[in-house]
Amino acid sequence: MANHTEELLPPTPGQRVSKFLSRKDVRQTFILGAFFTLVFIILGVWIYPHWMPNVLSKEMQADEDIMIWFTVISAPIAGVILAIAMESFLNMHRGDTPPEDGIAIRTHTPVVIIWSSVSVLFIILALVWGMVSMNTDAVKAATDAPNALVVDVTGSQWAWSFNYPAQNITTHTLNLPVDRPVTFNIISADVNHSFWPVQLGVKVDANRLTTTVIHTTPDKIGVLDVKCAELCGLYHAYMETSGQVESTTDFNNWVSSIQAQGGTQ
Amino acid sequence: MTTLSHAPTSTRPVPNPKRSLITRLNMGTGIIVGAIFCWGTYYAMRAGRDMTDTHNVNKVLLSSMLMWSFGFLVGIGALIGPFRWLIGKDLTAEEQLYLAGDGQGIKRYFKYCTDHKVVGIQYLVGVMTMLGVGGTMAMMIRTNLATPGSHLVTPNVYNSLVGLHGITMIIAMIIVATGPFGNYIMPIMIGARDMAFPRLNALSWWVLFTAIPVLCSAWFLGGIPTGWTAYAPLSDQAGPGMNAFLATIIIFALSTAVAGMNITTTVIAMRAKGMKWNRVPIFVVGATISVALAIPAFPTFMLAMIQTGMDRTIATGFYDANVGGSGWLYANLFWIMGHPEVYVILIPGVAALMEIAPVFVRKPLFSYNAAIAGFAGIAGLSVLVWAHHMYMSGWMPSLNGPFMITTEFISVPTGLLFLVLVGTLWRGRPWMKLPMLSVYAFLWNFLIGGVTGVYLSDVPADNYLHGSMFVTAHFHYTLMGAAFTGAMAGLVYWFPKMTGRMLNERAGYIAFWLIQIGFNVLFLGMFMAGAQGQPRRVADYAFVYEHSNMISTAGAYTVGIGMITLLWAVVHSWRNGKIAPMNPWGAKTLEWTVPYPVPLENFDVEPIITSDPYGYGKAAN
Repeated sequence: MANHTEELLPPTPGQRVSKFLSRKDVRQTFILGAFFTLVFIILGVWIYPHWMPNVLSKEMQADEDIMIWFTVISAPIAGVILAIAMESFLNMHRGDTPPEDGIAIRTHTPVVIIWSSVSVLFIILALVWGMVSMNTDAVKAATDAPNALVVDVTGSQWAWSFNYPAQNITTHTLNLPVDRPVTFNIISADVNHSFWPVQLGVKVDANRLTTTVIHTTPDKIGVLDVKCAELCGLYHAYMETSGQVESTTDFNNWVSSIQAQGGTQ
Repeated sequence: MTTLSHAPTSTRPVPNPKRSLITRLNMGTGIIVGAIFCWGTYYAMRAGRDMTDTHNVNKVLLSSMLMWSFGFLVGIGALIGPFRWLIGKDLTAEEQLYLAGDGQGIKRYFKYCTDHKVVGIQYLVGVMTMLGVGGTMAMMIRTNLATPGSHLVTPNVYNSLVGLHGITMIIAMIIVATGPFGNYIMPIMIGARDMAFPRLNALSWWVLFTAIPVLCSAWFLGGIPTGWTAYAPLSDQAGPGMNAFLATIIIFALSTAVAGMNITTTVIAMRAKGMKWNRVPIFVVGATISVALAIPAFPTFMLAMIQTGMDRTIATGFYDANVGGSGWLYANLFWIMGHPEVYVILIPGVAALMEIAPVFVRKPLFSYNAAIAGFAGIAGLSVLVWAHHMYMSGWMPSLNGPFMITTEFISVPTGLLFLVLVGTLWRGRPWMKLPMLSVYAFLWNFLIGGVTGVYLSDVPADNYLHGSMFVTAHFHYTLMGAAFTGAMAGLVYWFPKMTGRMLNERAGYIAFWLIQIGFNVLFLGMFMAGAQGQPRRVADYAFVYEHSNMISTAGAYTVGIGMITLLWAVVHSWRNGKIAPMNPWGAKTLEWTVPYPVPLENFDVEPIITSDPYGYGKAAN
């Protein structure tokens, strides 16, 4: 039972902290924690740019940055949890009878407070980041809207079609000029679909009789994949098409060629 | 309150209510009467109806399915008590004792038995069956996705597999801990002689049982094309198999309502003397908060399904934009259930691990209050976050910000759950038995599930990730990696009390490592596919996703082998395992103070509680 004479608490907080830090298990936990943190940071910075497809717009870049930076800032928290778990795991007792009882730590108020505060701060950081990013997108969309290229997108079971009203053409591939803002007006002819031009990093559902709107500005030339991200029945998996972000000249040539065919692809 | 008479076990005469109908009814009579009701309704309603009209087909099928459920309950004797009340009587004491099933051996598992321990075993076997069926469907999904361009199954079968895997697993996971352990162990843990409403307890299981054949019938009616989310208007358009889905949810919601009321009342009203709220074992707290959260959640799902049913049978058009309805109404109703529901699944699993960790680390649970705050905080916030599933739906983009705030704040109470577990591990010397290993697996899996959840809760990142395989991987990390791991730990931990035997350790370890390693390979591969841009619920995919899908499928087979090993371990140990001592883990909760087989009404002498069950350890220095 209680044996307070064995290890008396040092008198000042400073001494208590330095005694705490000099303990072997504490030092091991710190080393493990630093290791796990580093591993998560490296994985976060390396994995997402490596896995995710070409970035063809600022919106897509923002999506990717969030995934990278959220991983990096959550790495220390993950590191602490994994370090404590690993430290105790390495200290395991095997056998058919339970080990001796450990130390009866019922709670430790400062730790609970620090832990909760750190998670609140982490969340506030994540929220501010997300809100600023959302706001940037919204402001950009509003300022870009007047000179944006308008594309009316219709999802139907199981194909996409794109109508460019200003150019008066209807197509099944999505070609866009680089560096020009684009506004998509999306609607469905039947059930819900979700319009996902993958490399542009934006997405919204296509609903019956209600138009949804998204804005983006492709800023690099490259191939686009357009997919459906909402289960829409039998051939959902095949409801995809491709497209191109291309130079303004190429885009105009493409438009002319479609117009020459009578306006439909 | 209707409870059994509390006669002492030793002096009770063997009940023998001769000439009572109750003694003649069982699962077999239930199935017969259910089938008669079902086919009777089917043929009666078909007569004179134009069966080329899909509305009529839906009317007939939906009614037949619901009548099967009702007929089964009539046939098994569930309604004898309520019928007697109608004529101003009740079951006789002898009949009630007969229903408790004492001395009836294995037969009582096939009857309307009110003993909470029998109900617990019924749930356990039911859950394992459902997990087996759902897992087999998962294997078929992964086999089809092993390589691009695979045509092992048709797109229609694939979509049905996705939907039925989803709903089977959701139902199984909702009851995976609160069903078996909440019914068998929890009343003993709080020192009660049975549940508050033993007949409702039996009812909750047998109502759920009637949902199983209904759900299976979806296969024979052409499957469901909608996934388990059953979004409208796709569900309005869907074929006759959809009726099976609707009926299943309606029946299941009734079962959870009954079970939820019963468990909540039991914990509030029937705790042993001296078991104040701060002395209640943490598993009991978790299970209670979980079912209490389910009580308001599932009725909205039931309502959503009833409205879908009305759209399909009498063309009300709740969700049909063509006649002024809105699919967003469905999406809202569904997710108002759907987001609390994931915590209904998660909380009991975590609570089981919190019950287990102190026993094996031989230390008190770190900060019992933080654990309660964590559960309560999650339960409270979880009803305010539903529209984060709808960021990209186009419904109210202006609400994305507020829903992002509530969603991300759930990380704070969730963080407390981590704190409680790592605090319990801190400076401990854990006894590395199988249940304890699950605590570590949980920490790893739930960490990944949690961090990826923060990305998804962020609106800009969700622009990219919504509807992709990344989401599928994320929620499997939380539901399977966290909740299932907790339930598996619970199974191993309470196996000695529920079966009287120890689970085979060697097979258990092999199963554990196969499942956990396979699981991580499977879903890390799926994170990769999602980040690469593969949408979820696709029967086929482009060649760029080839490697990530192959990795996932390899992991899935590893999990499959692990699950079969676990099943073998459970079946083999149940029959031939080492006989368990009364308290094999040296735990301090009440269930370890009763012998196996646990006598009817559990305790000869009602226990009196003087402290919480975590009094391990030497005083802190």
